[in-house]
Order: sequence, then C-alpha cells, then structure tokens
Amino acid sequence: MVVLRAGLCPGLTEEMIQLLRANDIRTVVDFVSSDLEDVAQKCSLSYKVLVAVRRVLLAQFSAFPANGADLYEELKSSTAILPTGSPSLDQLLDSGLYTGEVTELMGAPGSGKTQVCLGIAGSVSLGLKQHVLFLDSTGGFTASRLYQMLRARAEDEEEQLEALQRIQVVRVFDVYEMLSALQELRDRLSQQVVSSTGPFKIVVIDSVSAVIYPLLGGKQSEGLAIMMQLARELKTLAREFSLAVVVTNQVTRDSSTSPLKPALGRSWSFVPSTRVLLESKEAAWEKATTQRVASLAKSPRQPTGIQVELDIGNGDVQEPSPATPTQGL
Amino acid sequence: MQRDLGSLPLAPALRARLVAAGFQTVQELLEIGPCGLSKEIGISKEEALEALQVVRQECHGDAARTAGGSGATRKCTALELLEEEQAQGFIITFCSALDNILGGGVQLTKITEICGAPGVGKTQLCMQLAVDVQIPECFGGVAGEAVFIDTEGSFMVDRVVDIATACVQHCQLIAEAHQEEDNLKALETFSLESILSHIYYFRCRDYTELLAQVYLLPDFLSEHSKVRLVVVDGIAFPFRHDFEDLSLRTRLLNGLAQQLIIIANDHKSAVVLTNQMTTRIGQRQSTLVPALGESWGHAATVRLIFHWDNSQRLATLYKSPSQKESTIPYQITSHGFRDVQPPAVTQNAEGTEMNPRKRPRREEEK
Repeated sequence: MVVLRAGLCPGLTEEMIQLLRANDIRTVVDFVSSDLEDVAQKCSLSYKVLVAVRRVLLAQFSAFPANGADLYEELKSSTAILPTGSPSLDQLLDSGLYTGEVTELMGAPGSGKTQVCLGIAGSVSLGLKQHVLFLDSTGGFTASRLYQMLRARAEDEEEQLEALQRIQVVRVFDVYEMLSALQELRDRLSQQVVSSTGPFKIVVIDSVSAVIYPLLGGKQSEGLAIMMQLARELKTLAREFSLAVVVTNQVTRDSSTSPLKPALGRSWSFVPSTRVLLESKEAAWEKATTQRVASLAKSPRQPTGIQVELDIGNGDVQEPSPATPTQGL
Repeated sequence: MQRDLGSLPLAPALRARLVAAGFQTVQELLEIGPCGLSKEIGISKEEALEALQVVRQECHGDAARTAGGSGATRKCTALELLEEEQAQGFIITFCSALDNILGGGVQLTKITEICGAPGVGKTQLCMQLAVDVQIPECFGGVAGEAVFIDTEGSFMVDRVVDIATACVQHCQLIAEAHQEEDNLKALETFSLESILSHIYYFRCRDYTELLAQVYLLPDFLSEHSKVRLVVVDGIAFPFRHDFEDLSLRTRLLNGLAQQLIIIANDHKSAVVLTNQMTTRIGQRQSTLVPALGESWGHAATVRLIFHWDNSQRLATLYKSPSQKESTIPYQITSHGFRDVQPPAVTQNAEGTEMNPRKRPRREEEK
C-alpha cells in the first residue's frame, strides 16, 4: 500500500499522478490492479507508458526469488547458536538459542522465567562477550541476582563488571514504549552505529504478555492489532539483523481443572518458533524447591514433548544462606 | 523515521483511515503536513494537527533517546542498575527472619504481594510497613512517607498507634545505647504524631474508585516526593464480585498491575499489595491458592504467602527474582510484626552482618 509519488519509478511524473488521483488511483496496489486500457482512456494517458510504469512497479515491489543453495549459504554464514548458560536447556533447544528466531519461555508465576532470562543474558554477555538488550516490562530485572550469577561463573571482578556493562536494560511498561524501544533498536542496527553499546546479538523481553494483557479482553479488538504489530516487528528484527529474540509469556487455564496453556491465544502461537514450558516439580506452593522441569512445546528441529530438569537456584554463591543484595561490590 | 504507523499510539479509527489512504511510515505522514492530511483522509484540520503532534512527539522521543538525551530515564546498563539497587535501602519489617528471606526487607521499586487467609496478619504487616518506612536514615530506615489505599476498611488507626509507639521506643533505645548525635537529633522529629501525619490514607469502596485512585496516584506522588511506600490493602476484594465479564476483569487488573509497576519504578517506592486466598479444586485434592487467577500471579515481582501451621504463623517466599524460596515463622505481638521467640540467633547475626545499615536488635525490645 505505497502511495504513488513522483520519482517512485522512472516515467511516473507529477502530472500523471494528478490524473490518476482524479480517477481514484492513489496507491501502487490501486494502480497495478486496475485495468490499464480503462485507465488510459479515462486519464487520457499513453497506454504504452502505463504498461511500462506497471512493469517497473511490479519489479520494484515484488519479492525477489532466491534458491535454496544460496539460502543455505546465507544461513550458515549468518546464524549463530547462543548458549543459554544451562547445559540441560541447551540440550532441549538443540544446543542453544538460534539467531533469526523467536524463542518463548512460558510458565506460571514463580516458575523461573525471569531467572532463565537473567541466566541467558549473563551467559551471552560473559561467555560470548556480546551485547544484550533486555526489555523489562514487569520490573523483575534484578541486577544483584545477575551479579550473583556472574560471580558464580567468573572469578575476575573486572570481567564481571564488563559483562554487566554489556547488558543494556530498558524498562518499558506499555506496548507503545516497547514498540518505540524496538524501533530504536532497528534504527541503531540499520545505521550500524558503533557506539558504546555496540551491536546486539540477542534481545530478551521479559514479559511480552504483561504489556499486551491490559489491551486484551473486554469488548476491544484493538489489542489484537497491536499484538500482531509487535509480533511482526519481533520476527522481522530477528530475521533481518540475525538476532536471537527471547520472550516470556504467561500461562492460563480454561477452567480450574484443565491443563496449562500459553496465554495470548492462538494468533500469538504462530509467532515464536520455539516454545518452552517451565514448571515447578512440586505442584503445591508449600514445598518450594529450585528444581524446575522444562518441556518443549513447539520446535522446528527437536521432537516436542521432551523434558529436561533445570535448577534455577544455580549460580548462588552462598548456598546455605540467602544472599543479601546489599553486599558491596 | 521509517517507523511503521501501526506502532504509534493513534486511535484505531484514525489508523484505519491512514492505512486506507496508503500511509505506511512516519516519514510520509510528517512530509504531508496537517492541511494535506486533513484533505487526504477527510478529517478536520484540528484532528489532523493533533495526530501529527502525537507522531512528532514519538519521533522526538526516539531521536532524544538515540542521542542519549534526557528521555533515557528508563534505560541503563545492568551495572548502573546494580549500583542503584545497592544504594537504595529496604523497608525493614521488624521480623529479622522475614527481612532475611526478602534479602534485607521489602524492596523499593518492586511490587510485593502478600497473600494469605483472613486473620493471618496481612494487614498487620502493611501497617507495620507504613510505620517502618518512616524510620530516619540514621537508624537504617529510608525516612519516607506512606500511602495506604484501603479497600476492605481494615485499617485500624489505634493499632497503628501501638505499632508506631513501639517503633519510636525501639529507636529511643538504640539512641540511648549508642549516644550518637545524629540519632538523638533525628528522634526529636520522629514521634507518634509525625508518623501518623505522614501516612496518607485513602478509602476506596469499589473497583472504580480503586482504579481511579491508582491512576491519579502519580500526581499525588509528585507533590509528596517523600513517599516511599504504597500499600493497597485488599487488591482482590473489589475485584471478586460485581464482575460478569471475566475478561474485562483480567484486562483491568493487568492494566492496574502495569500502572503500579510504573509508580514503583518512577517514584522509587515499594508497592505492597495484599491478596486473598481461594480454593482450587483439583482431581484428587483441593489446594489453597492466591485469588484473582493465574495471570495476576505475574503482576507482583515478589510474592509472599502467609499461612498457618497449627497455631504457628508461617511466611513463605513463593516468588522472588533475587532470593531463594523459603519459609519462616513469625508472630504478631502487641508491638506489631515480630520474630518468633526465641529468635533464630544465627540468622539474626547474619542479617546484621550482611546489612550494615541495620542496627543490631536489642533483645529487651521484643
């Protein structure tokens, strides 16, 4: 739906556009789909010119075919697999997070989604020396916990601080702010600004449902449009700039006895290519443990339904007593 | 400037018109100007101007943020956040075991939810916190003020008087023991009257009032910049009846949650909510779970569940981004929310070691 403008393609002049507009042809789609003979008559334009313009427009706006061999070459050169920092989760995801894809972590409150996100951010920043963008929409990002995880992995204090500096946190509390933040990321990546923040390889969004839920439900359909806008943005960002995108989602149930299912409904279910469900081993909250079960609900390369065990309590420096964040640097 | 129109906060009807007229990016919209726009999509010039203002604002926000300008208040590196987190204090609860499992006390800039059956002590802890948030800095407090939003009518001011008196006494004992000048000076202003006058109490009778109050709270907080604690006692109560459309309830609740997170983050205050418990009927056995459903569970960053074990009150940390899940006993005395006697001595010692801002607790206090 691009508006016809002078200079859009050779041969399309301002006069032509005025004439076309007078006949209600405003956009490229209008132009391409109209009967050119008819248009030539009505606007008293040369049929030959119109056909030429149409051919150029079609070439300009159509997708370019690529063959599989080229795609494979591109895939090999652009795809990276980022480790999550947890060997069992890596195993579940077929060795890690793939760039160019959206991976979703879902689970009930307290099932460890934020912990896994922090673990991923820490491992990518510390292990791969890559920059991480962390969009926090629930206020769950806790730097002291991240620092604790990093201390468990690296001895050198300098290294830990550098890793912390490579993680950029943006707090976004509504969906428009989130879209702005993503837009800003796109601008930065496309301009290839080599600033202090450097290029990103991974974007973590904790949680995507927190910003979309306030728009869904009731009698409004607006939320769905925004949700799909966000979905498209995430998918194109992941693909165009070969980023790994990790999002977290909530789970709901239809009734109190039915099994857990991911929130945001069916239209969102097409967005992530990989979905991982996190569950606590113990169903009751009275018996709290750090053991979690991660199971694969959707994946393009692994059989779904496989399960691994995770320990989200790992990286604790002081195992016996709960650590206090106020301990100094 | 190549930003997609769909990502702008415009009215749906307006967006539909823009898309129908073939506009795709912000660039195209800004080039055309208000007169052209009003002609192009058939809206009045005022409406067109308004829409363009929204668009410009968004773009300038973007530009400012890319340039690292003042618009970047919510953006920082994890290192800066860590420093911020370490600099900010905690609101202590006067129960050292609970402080310990929370990592020092109730955290500022986070939402803490307290769930529990009636009478287990949720409101008591809220009132205790409303007093404790005002402890002067030289005693290890945050010297703040409190906003108390009450939906159930359970705020007992005479009980607050008890708690506040005990708290002032506690500080006096510390001051006597240490004889430090700033402690004595701080005590001159730290009195029962000042504590009571710095608790701002709002009574909300239904969910409309509650929503209105929470959405208006940022204005109140910018006038009262010392507020460090916002208590909503009974988030569940107004939402557990009068709702036929459950999806509307979810929507409102989630909007409320995001608003509370914004308040907590922007005003550097702690938000404490209380929630009721409800029964989930399972196949074999029924369990007691926090009310308001599965999705509400994500609203709070820290979740505490209070429950009984025979006659002993227990607090379980169920969800926390930084602390391990654990359970501790507590009790409620005439002085307020306290450790169970005899207190776990080792834990107590550790707690004071780890948090240099806290004074050692006097045994005779309890």
